[in-house]
Amino acid sequence: MAYWETIFYWVALVAYSLAAGGCIYSFVFKNPRVMPKITLLTAVGFVAVTLAIVARFNATGHLPWSGHYEYVLMGGWFIIAGTLFVGWQNKSLQGLAVGTLPLVIIMMGYGYMQSPGLTPMAASLKTIWLYIHVYFAWLSFGAYSLAMAAGVLYLLKQKSDALAVPNPAYDRFPTLGRLDELIFRYVVFGFITDTIMICAGAIWAKDLWGSYWAWDPVETWSLISWLVYGITIHLRVTFGWREKRLAWLAVAALSTVIISFFGVNLVVNTSLHVFQVR
Amino acid sequence: MINKVIKYLSSLRFTILLICLLGLMFIIGLWVPQVRLVKDIYIEWYKHSPRLVEFLDAFGLTSIYTSPITIALWALFFINLALVLWQRMPLVRHRIAISDAKITDPDRAAGYPFKSSFPLPEGLDGESAVARLRGRRYTVLGDATGFYAVKNRLSPIAFVLFHVSFYLILLGGLISVYTEFIGYVDLAQGESFHGELSRYNASPSVKLPAFGSPPGVSITVSNIVPQVVQNTPTGISVMLLDGQGRAHEVGINTPYSTGPTSFVFKHLGMAPHFVLKDATGKVIENTLVKLDVLTRKPDKFNLAGYTFTATFYPDYVMDNGKRATRSMEFNNPVFFIVVEREGKKVADGLVPKNGVLEFAGNRLEMEELRYWVRFYVIAQRGLPILYLGFAVACIAVIWRMIFYKREILGAVREKDGERRLVVAGRSEYYKSLAEDEFTKLFSKIVG
Ligand code: HEM
Repeated sequence: MAYWETIFYWVALVAYSLAAGGCIYSFVFKNPRVMPKITLLTAVGFVAVTLAIVARFNATGHLPWSGHYEYVLMGGWFIIAGTLFVGWQNKSLQGLAVGTLPLVIIMMGYGYMQSPGLTPMAASLKTIWLYIHVYFAWLSFGAYSLAMAAGVLYLLKQKSDALAVPNPAYDRFPTLGRLDELIFRYVVFGFITDTIMICAGAIWAKDLWGSYWAWDPVETWSLISWLVYGITIHLRVTFGWREKRLAWLAVAALSTVIISFFGVNLVVNTSLHVFQVR
Repeated sequence: MINKVIKYLSSLRFTILLICLLGLMFIIGLWVPQVRLVKDIYIEWYKHSPRLVEFLDAFGLTSIYTSPITIALWALFFINLALVLWQRMPLVRHRIAISDAKITDPDRAAGYPFKSSFPLPEGLDGESAVARLRGRRYTVLGDATGFYAVKNRLSPIAFVLFHVSFYLILLGGLISVYTEFIGYVDLAQGESFHGELSRYNASPSVKLPAFGSPPGVSITVSNIVPQVVQNTPTGISVMLLDGQGRAHEVGINTPYSTGPTSFVFKHLGMAPHFVLKDATGKVIENTLVKLDVLTRKPDKFNLAGYTFTATFYPDYVMDNGKRATRSMEFNNPVFFIVVEREGKKVADGLVPKNGVLEFAGNRLEMEELRYWVRFYVIAQRGLPILYLGFAVACIAVIWRMIFYKREILGAVREKDGERRLVVAGRSEYYKSLAEDEFTKLFSKIVG
């Protein structure tokens, strides 16, 4: 890591952690007034991550595109950018941070452990298809994360609404009906960008490896997660799955995306181990 | 009975089941080691646990993506999709249909969850309000006394297009599989290749197409320039001349493609030109040797009954009395060569570019040091259809999911002595969010 990158990374991690703590405080102590401050802290963290990316760019001469640490850096940036953007467009959506902040904090903690050395850009990464592929991958990761966050918010708010005295901390958030549709809207946005990501990835693979699809583990997981979101959309459109079921689906489906980004090696390596191959 | 089967085959419940099962097969494929991905160790694995491997093989689980179960699932998937699409065509036609019959009373219209009315300000007549709706990409039938407006009317067609794109991808994929030729060929700087089957590497073996013939190509490698920064390869430029003498540059992401055939750069190696001379200075062997030494592992070659083991240092340096390389940059390329005869070491020594190794009265001279590249030669004929499928899928999914249909019924009416625009609205996919959208839209129209 570059010197300033490390500093800004930590600033961001601290700001995000404080903001996540604020969210929990707001819900547990039923205090909705802290939400604007939480958003401000999140924005501070976001600026810090942006500066960390700039510092890394300065040191390596390229945007962080590859390797787990760089996934974390850019993925976290897109997820929080999405959170801030929707919160800025519609104040009642600032609470989505309750789902996205913990996710990004865990990702950043994991990323830091991945020995984020500075490397020049590998030749395989210099192509327009990669930029399209990676950019849309981040957009879809961001959108699916927002869908997960809207799902979490839905489940929390629904629980609270069922109480004799609902928690006023949830009053600021959209109605359950709107949250339910927002989950679908984010899933749809993620699905569109996911589709483009997979097509661009296949074209890139054709140029780089010679074949557009090789059932490589990362490709396979991306296909699985695309299918899972396809099923989610089907269940909604053709079977009318909504509300609690859709919220749970949005939360659970994100695990497939996280596996495609970070966990494929884990799955494949453990299976080689279990089957005593090698 | 048959009707029941067809009914189930064309049900959406079956669609979900099929997609889930396909997903499950892919997950199993990730978990159970696949022959095609770990071929070398598969054989060892088989030696180690023959029973388990035979059991998994019996169900096709070690080649899961081409196993009969997976292929059957795909077949059912496309049958189900065809049946559903066929059945849905009337519905799609109905959804995109437009006629004056759609103009009904907004107050009483069933299936329009959004109902509201907005006062028309002075100076805005009903027709102008309707014109403003047109200005916002709504197609409007009728007039201010009663109208039906629709935006993105044709969006349901995109549902068909998106799902039809799967057939294009399938067709492109199938054509590719059956016309596929794959081979590897190693070419050093200066070498020519005219598609001779015998010159492809023996391992991995050539895959001949089920239909069609191997690619007829003609190329000469005119130059190879690798770029390395520290230990990261940052680029390579391989210049090729085709049969007509035209130059083409091959890079990591830019294969040389001619018709359906692509030459994809796969691997770089060192090709020293060695001349072996005896004590009298007579040339015994004069040859270009392709060595695979850039992974820092040694490689072997044989000349005149001797075995030579060469280790390569691209940026040679002595480090604490040991041979080492400063980086993978080609700043000071040097071979360390061990000479053996019948398993016994004869000599060893360093051979830089234009250097010499003397052993047993012989001289091994390195006249020249070139590079060689391994090309993955692949020919497939279905790609244009496949890419068309990708394009259709992307366009259709954007069209369908972003430009979904909204419908509005409206009429300008006198209510409580006020002229009001009475409206009812509905949208595909959304209700609450559509209500927000309609409220905003009409506030702007009458605002
Ligand atoms: C056998 C296979 C499939 C069948 C029979 C099928 C059928 C359908 C049907 C009937 C709809 C509802 C259309 C409507 O009422 O508007 C739909 C929507 C949709 N399907 Fe599929 N589908 C299949 C496979 C897939 C797959 C593999 C995906 C992607 C993962 C997918 C993605 C979608 C999407 C995004 C929609 C929503 C767009 C819309 O409403 O038209 N489908 N599908």
